[in-house]
This record gives sequence, structure tokens and C-alpha cells, in this order.
Amino acid sequence: MLTKGQARTFFVGGTLFFSAIFLALTVDTLRQMPERQNSELMTASVVRGKMIWENENCMGCHTILGEGAYYAPELTRAVDRRGEEWIRIFLRDPQAMYPGRRKMVQYDFSEEQITDVIAFLGWIGQIDTNGFPPEPDMAPAVVVASVPAASTGPRPAYFDTICVACHSVGGKGGLVGPALDGVASRIDAEYLDRWLANPQAVKPGTAMPNLGLTDDQRAELVAWLVTLQ
Amino acid sequence: MKFRSQRVSYLFFATALVLLVLQICFGFIMGFAHMGFDVLHDVITFNVARSSHVNLLVFWLLSGFMGAAYYIVPEEADRELVSERLAVVQWAGLVVVGVAAIIGFQFGWWEGRKFLEIPRPLDYLVVVDILLFIYVVGRTALSAERFTTTGIVLLLGLTSAALLYLPGMITFDSQVIDSYFRWWVVHLWVEGVWELIMGGMLSFLLIKLTGVDREVIEKWLYVIVGFTFLSGILGTGHHYYYIGAPEYWLLVGGLFGALEPLAFLGMAMYAVSMVRRGGMDHPNKIALFWTVGCSVMAFVGAGFLGFSHTLPQVNIWTHGTIITAMHGHMAFWGAYAMIVLAMISYAMPNLTGRKRYLGPLPEWAFWTSNVGMIGMTGAFAVAGIAQVYMERRIGMDFLAVQEAVEVHFTGVVLAAMLLSFGIGLFIWNFVQYGLPSDEALERR
Ligand code: HEC
Ligand code: HEC
Ligand code: HEM
Ligand code: HEM
Ligand SMILES: [Fe+2]
Repeated sequence: MLTKGQARTFFVGGTLFFSAIFLALTVDTLRQMPERQNSELMTASVVRGKMIWENENCMGCHTILGEGAYYAPELTRAVDRRGEEWIRIFLRDPQAMYPGRRKMVQYDFSEEQITDVIAFLGWIGQIDTNGFPPEPDMAPAVVVASVPAASTGPRPAYFDTICVACHSVGGKGGLVGPALDGVASRIDAEYLDRWLANPQAVKPGTAMPNLGLTDDQRAELVAWLVTLQ
Repeated sequence: MKFRSQRVSYLFFATALVLLVLQICFGFIMGFAHMGFDVLHDVITFNVARSSHVNLLVFWLLSGFMGAAYYIVPEEADRELVSERLAVVQWAGLVVVGVAAIIGFQFGWWEGRKFLEIPRPLDYLVVVDILLFIYVVGRTALSAERFTTTGIVLLLGLTSAALLYLPGMITFDSQVIDSYFRWWVVHLWVEGVWELIMGGMLSFLLIKLTGVDREVIEKWLYVIVGFTFLSGILGTGHHYYYIGAPEYWLLVGGLFGALEPLAFLGMAMYAVSMVRRGGMDHPNKIALFWTVGCSVMAFVGAGFLGFSHTLPQVNIWTHGTIITAMHGHMAFWGAYAMIVLAMISYAMPNLTGRKRYLGPLPEWAFWTSNVGMIGMTGAFAVAGIAQVYMERRIGMDFLAVQEAVEVHFTGVVLAAMLLSFGIGLFIWNFVQYGLPSDEALERR
């Protein structure tokens, strides 16, 4: 039968042995990190962004690299998913982008701070994470036959980065605002132009935010929206 | 009690229970926020509630462990503490740091690193306070004529827990390396050195409550903590799969992570078989309930539910979802909350000389709090599974999924009310015991 002395040897020996292996693997991990995390892309802006991330405890609502809280979206691929421009508009006024939904803190970030946060999130998005977060593998099985968008012209890129977060076309996109299929049959070009320039002026209290579009962007969007008969 | 200085443990136990109540309050704030009622958003944002919730948890458990050590070490060393006054100072230090940290959180004074939110200046105070604690119990043990294995394992656990706090105080520019060393604290605590503390306390309670021979109990204690480190050290790899660390961690973490439940299975088998073997009919049945309940719930929460998401092919889907919260609750409850409550249940009659363990109240406290925790875990599990399928596997929008699982958080909150009721009874029972008294000193 096992004696107490042998049991102790098992404990002490095992602990020392596995600690040694663990330390060796740690050294190797640190050696591999510069390549896996693209250290050369870690600019001063990225590091400042991480400071903001920590000082504001964003991890107390969000997960990043799958770590944190489960109250707000996972942000490892946020820049891929939403695009830098969308995140910039969002961070200026988070609640305007999701009217009436679960609330994010209204930070009064300066434009430089927003740039830093986006740089940080962009750097995170390029880390080699062994495939996390995974692509949804069951999506094809449940895709509902989607209605093709009844549009003629090409979709402005801006629409795909910003507007889809709230509006759907052809069954794809966000649900915050109304679907824009057939919008041209409801609204004319002149109204659309005024609307996009400043929704609040057209309809005070509306949940659609002023997105600060340039004249060119607005013209391009209106030209495309009027084709959605 | 055998030694007068053991009574300081009362301060730590009482503190632990107060902090537990506060922890639960913050838990409810988050539970309601998940149900869609984030009414307190402008006063206590979710991240404030969360860091308060988990840090209060860590604080009250540490307070409970220290109280347990101040109770156990004199008995195992067969002498008084070297200084009761220093122990009281150390207690005051712990309270000050804890209160400062929790108040600081409300104003955004923190480091945004999950579980290690305590800001740097307070970290140093924590270290000083823990050094003082180790000095008091360590000196007591060293100046004793003999010191038992149970005591050694307990002190080894507490000392290594203090040492492992240090890697969490280094910051890096890289989120990945930060996270790598954050796990040295979080994982190596709960799946490493804290298990030593739990094992030491469990073994002390079993020796006292079952009457089985110390040699037998302590031999198996070594085997179990041996398994803890055998699997737990390299098991840290189960947190390195998807944070940017090299691919071999999938293999290392997968293999050793899968072995980790063995230590908890061992713990449960150990407690149950010692109780069966022991002929002694100890009158404090309720302490035995908590002791055996602890080993069983720890196996379910840490071992079984931990295993359910530790394999890399599962974890890639569940990583950072409500599934983790499901496991976190039952594991912390079973392994660490229950061992502290077991220790309190055992120590209170001895400290005060009152036999308040009789009657239905303590039994109700045991059953309602445990059923409440099982209910919470079940509701978290349903929400977590729904989230994994809808968000991760089908690709639905995050907020749409969260709205779909709001109803399960109603379940969490209802079960949490039952748990809180049980904790309320436990505390009422604690209050009924009154203060430690010299009349409770065993005549020798
Ligand atoms: C933060 C979410 C949000 C974003 C981003 C957003 N919208 Fe809207 N939008 C809304 C909401 C909400 C309404 C409904 C407003 C109301 O009726 O008060 C709306 C209404 C509209 C309408 C009127 C639709 C109708 O049928 O009456 C148009 C057109 C429109 N949006 C176009 C756009 C375009 C183009 C973009 C991108 C530049 C965009 N929106 C970006 C939320 C958004
Ligand atoms: C109180 C909790 C909370 C805190 C703290 C918080 N967020 Fe959020 N965040 C949210 C919620 C909830 C959403 C989902 C959208 C919404 O309802 O506004 C969100 C959405 C986002 C998004 C858009 C993600 C997407 O894919 O739609 C980004 C980017 C973001 N947050 C960044 C941050 C950063 C950076 C910080 C820290 C400076 C932060 N958040 C702190 C709750 C929070
Ligand atoms: C009784 C009322 C309680 C309620 C309503 C509650 C609710 C919650 C909620 C909603 C979260 C946050 C999940 C998220 O990030 O979105 C959380 C986190 C946590 N709670 Fe509780 N809780 C309660 C009690 C407890 C108890 C008694 C324990 C320990 C024994 C505990 C341990 C934890 C831990 C460890 C976490 C962090 C989990 C993780 O990060 O995965 N909670 N709790
Ligand atoms: C008493 C012991 C344990 C406690 C208190 C505990 C608690 C926790 C907590 C709080 C987390 C969330 C940590 C964070 O995200 O910061 C976590 C994560 C995890 N635990 Fe445990 N745990 C215990 C034992 C185990 C065991 C034995 C296993 C394996 C069999 C395990 C497997 C995991 C895994 C895989 C994760 C990562 C989840 C993710 O990817 O999001 N745990 N645990
Ligand atoms: Fe772990």
C-alpha cells in the first residue's frame, strides 16, 4: 500500500516536474508572440488605445479575445465586422446607433481617442487566434430564402458599412430602422436628401442619428436609394 | 475552542458574510440588467457592478480562508497564535483595502482586467496585508513543536496564492501577454493553489467530524493535491487556446484540462468515503452537510461543468459566452463558498459555546441556498446554450440573441432569490450564535 511518504514524493515531484515544463512552454510562447501578434503593427496609437480600454474597463461589459463580460458584443473582429468608419460614428454617440436597446456608456471621447481605440481594436483583429471567433457553421442550414434586392445600380460602399447596421435591404441588415426595400416608392429624392443631411431637422425626436455625411456621400446614396422601387 | 487566540477568526467570518451580502446585491443588479431592466445604468453601470461582484467574491473568500487559517493553525500547531493583536491589525487592513477598492470601483478607479480590477496602489497594500497574515500564521507554525500535514498543505496553499498574485501586477503593452499572465493568477489560483487551501480545510474538517485516523486522511490529501498540480499547472493551457498563444496549447491544455476533474472527483470520493468509514457520531451534523456538500458540488461545478467546455473543439464555440458564467458560479460556490461556510458552521459552536446547529434553521439554510445555486446554474446553462447556437453557430446579431435569452435571466434571478433566502438564514443563524466567549475554551 501507498505510504504517506510516497504520497508526498508524488506531490512534490509532480509539482516540480510540471512547473518546469510550464515555464519552458512559457518561454517558447513569449518567443513566438512577436510574430503571432504582429508586434510591428503595435504603434503608439494601439498602445494608447489599450490604455483607454483598460482605464474605462470596457472588459466589464464586452469580451475581447473571448475574455471579459457577457453583456455586450465580442469585439475581437469588431473592425472587420463593422468597419472603422461605423465604429467612429458609433463611439461618438453609442446610444444613437442603438436607440432604445441595451445601453453602452456614453463616453465623451475626443477624435484622437476614438482613433486610438479603433487602432487597438484593429490590431486585435489581426492576431493569430487559432481561428477564434469561428465562422458560424450552421448558418447555411437555416438561411431563409432571401429576397433579392430590387435595385439596378451598384450599392454604395458607405451603405454597406454604415446603413446596414440599422436598415435591411433584401432581408439582410439591421432591424433598428425600417427596411429600405421600395423606399423610393414612399419618399422622393428631395426628401431623402434633406433626411440624410439631418434627420432631426425633418422629424424632431427621430431615432435615426445625424451621420455627418459629406455632400458627395449623400448624393451617391440618394442616387442609389431612388432605384429601390 | 482550544486556544483563546482562535477567536480572531470570528472577525474574518463575520466580514466574509457581510461582503457576501454585498456581492449578491451587485449580482442582482446584473441579473436585472440582463433581463432588460438596466434601470441603474446611469448610477451603477454594468462594468461597475461586475467588478464589484467578482472582487467582493474574491475578498470574502480570502477573508473566509484567513479566518479558517487562524482557527486551524493553532490547533494543528498546538499553541496560541504568536500575536493575536497582529492578527486583528491584519484583519483591519483587509477590511480597509476591500472597502477602498469597492468604493473606488464606483468612481472608475480600477484596472480593466477581469478579476484583477484592484488598482495598483491598493495591490501593494494587499501584498503587505497578506505578508502580515503569512507572518502571523507562519511564525505560529514554525515555533510549534510539531506541525501537521493538514496545516502544511493549508499554509503552502495560502503562501503560493500570495506569490501568484504578483504576476497579475505586471502590465504589458500587448493584450495577449497581459492575458497570458492574468491566467497565472486566475487559473493557477482556482485550479491550483486554492485547491490546496480547500484540501487542507476539508481534511481538517474530516478529521474533526468523522474521527477517521489522521494518517489515512493526510495520505490521501497528498495524493489529491498531487493530482491537482499534475493536471492543473499545464491545464492553464485551456485558457490559451484562442487568445493568440501558439497552437500547441490546444493539445497541452486540452489534455491536461481534461484531467483536472480527477482532482475534484478525488476530493468528493475522499470526503464521502471518510464519512462512511468514520464511526464517530459528531453532533454538528450541519457542518458535515456543508463539508460533504462542498466536495460534491465542487465536483459538479468545477469538474463536470468545467469538463463540459474544456476541450478545444467545444471551447471554440463556448469561449466567452454565458456558458462560462454558468460554470464560474457553480464552481466558485461548490469549491470555495461552501468550504468557507462549512468552516464557519463547524467553528461557530466551538467559538461561542452555543449549540445553534440544532433545529431546522441551519438545515433550511443549507438546502435553499444549494437548490437556489443549482437553479441559477441551470438557467445560465439554458441561456448559454441558446447563445452559443444562435450567435456563434448560426451567426445571429449579438443584441437580438441577448433579447431572446432575457427570459432565462428571469430564471436566474428567481433562483438567485432562493439562494439569497438561504444565505439570509445562514446569516441569521450566525448572528444567533453571538460573539466568541472565553467560556467556550476547552478545559485542559
Ligand atoms: C442608428 C441606426 C440608423 C442608421 C445607422 C441609419 N438609419 Fe436610417 N433610420 C433609422 C431609424 C430608426 C429610422 C426611422 C425614423 C423615424 O421614422 O423616426 C430611419 C429612417 C430612414 C429612412 C426613412 C425610411 C422610411 O421608410 O421612412 C431612410 C431613407 C433612411 N433611414 C436611410 C438611411 C441611410 C441611407 C443610412 C446610411 C447612411 C441610414 N439610414 C442609417 C435608423 C438608422
Ligand atoms: C456598460 C457596458 C458597456 C461598456 C462599459 C462598454 N460598452 Fe461597448 N457596448 C455595450 C453594448 C450593450 C453594446 C451593444 C450596442 C448598444 O446597445 O449600444 C456595445 C457596443 C460596442 C461596439 C459596437 C460593437 C458592434 O459590433 O456593434 C463597440 C465598438 C464598443 N461597444 C466599444 C466599446 C469600448 C471601446 C468601450 C470602452 C471604452 C466600451 N465599448 C465600453 C456596452 C458597453
Ligand atoms: C445570488 C445572486 C447572484 C446573481 C443574480 C448573480 C449574477 C451574475 C451575473 C449576471 C454575472 C455576470 C455575467 C456577465 O458577465 O454578463 C455574474 C458573474 C459572476 N458571478 Fe454571480 N450572481 C450571483 C451570486 C453569485 C455567487 C454566490 C457567486 C459565487 C459563489 C457568484 C460568482 C460569480 C462569478 C465567478 C462571476 C464571473 C463569471 C465569469 O466571468 O464567467 N455569483 N453573476
Ligand atoms: C473550483 C474550481 C474552479 C473555479 C472556481 C472555476 C472558475 C472559473 C471562472 C470564474 C472562469 C471564467 C474566468 C475568466 O474568464 O476570467 C472559468 C473559466 C474556465 N474554466 Fe473554470 N473553474 C474551476 C475549475 C475548472 C476545471 C476543473 C475545469 C476543467 C475541467 C475548468 C475549465 C474552465 C474553462 C475551459 C474555462 C474557460 C471558459 C472560456 O473559454 O470562456 N474550470 N472557470
Ligand atoms: Fe482554468
